[in-house]
Amino acid sequence: MDPDAVAKAFVEHYYRTFDSNRAGLANLYQDGSMLTFEGAKTQGAQAIAAKLASLPFQQCMHNISTVDCQPSGPAGGMVVFVSGSLQLAGEQHPLKFSQMFHLMPTPQGTFYVLNDIFRLNYA
Amino acid sequence: MDPDALAKAFVEHYYRTFDTNRAGLGNLYQEGSMLTFEGAKTQGAQAIVAKLTSLPFQQCQHNVTTVDCQPSGPAGGMLVFVSGSLQLLGEQHPLKFSQVYTPTPPLPL
Repeated sequence: MDPDAVAKAFVEHYYRTFDSNRAGLANLYQDGSMLTFEGAKTQGAQAIAAKLASLPFQQCMHNISTVDCQPSGPAGGMVVFVSGSLQLAGEQHPLKFSQMFHLMPTPQGTFYVLNDIFRLNYA
Repeated sequence: MDPDALAKAFVEHYYRTFDTNRAGLGNLYQEGSMLTFEGAKTQGAQAIVAKLTSLPFQQCQHNVTTVDCQPSGPAGGMLVFVSGSLQLLGEQHPLKFSQVYTPTPPLPL
């Protein structure tokens, strides 16, 4: 499958899961995975899922503007760079964000998130 | 050196070079390096420098707001994620940007 198509499919799956079943994101991380969310660092699928589930908003919707990807290293990894906006229920204006994922292949032919960095882009 | 300090030093060096001696960026890339700039893909140090020096502005200043980094796997590489603003000479308002780098230890000779 074309890498750009793989990246796009992964990103759509990630945000659809985030927006409808946030606990389900745990399946996309492993023990060595790292998340830096607005500067706060977390490691490991369980701790990451707990961090994401504890964010101070319930309902949200991610709208993706751009997805860029590049191959990363000899092991078949990919770096995926996303920009978009995040609409929180009850908030008048969406928040702009950028997010970077470093995906690594699994033996089953899927990808998991090894590195994840999220930043809001303030006006 | 502490990885966060290393990332910060790399980023400061990168944008200082960009803003004062853009051609000097060639030393930071190798043949296998890849740049995607606003969706346009380029590969290799020479082509990347050609792309960056051909951008439609002469003087610019990058102001970095955030730098995040993480180790990126067993080969000792790092992922560095930057956000900030870019002031172009003659433009009234700065442009906001985000940029991702994968600094990698040089290949052993």
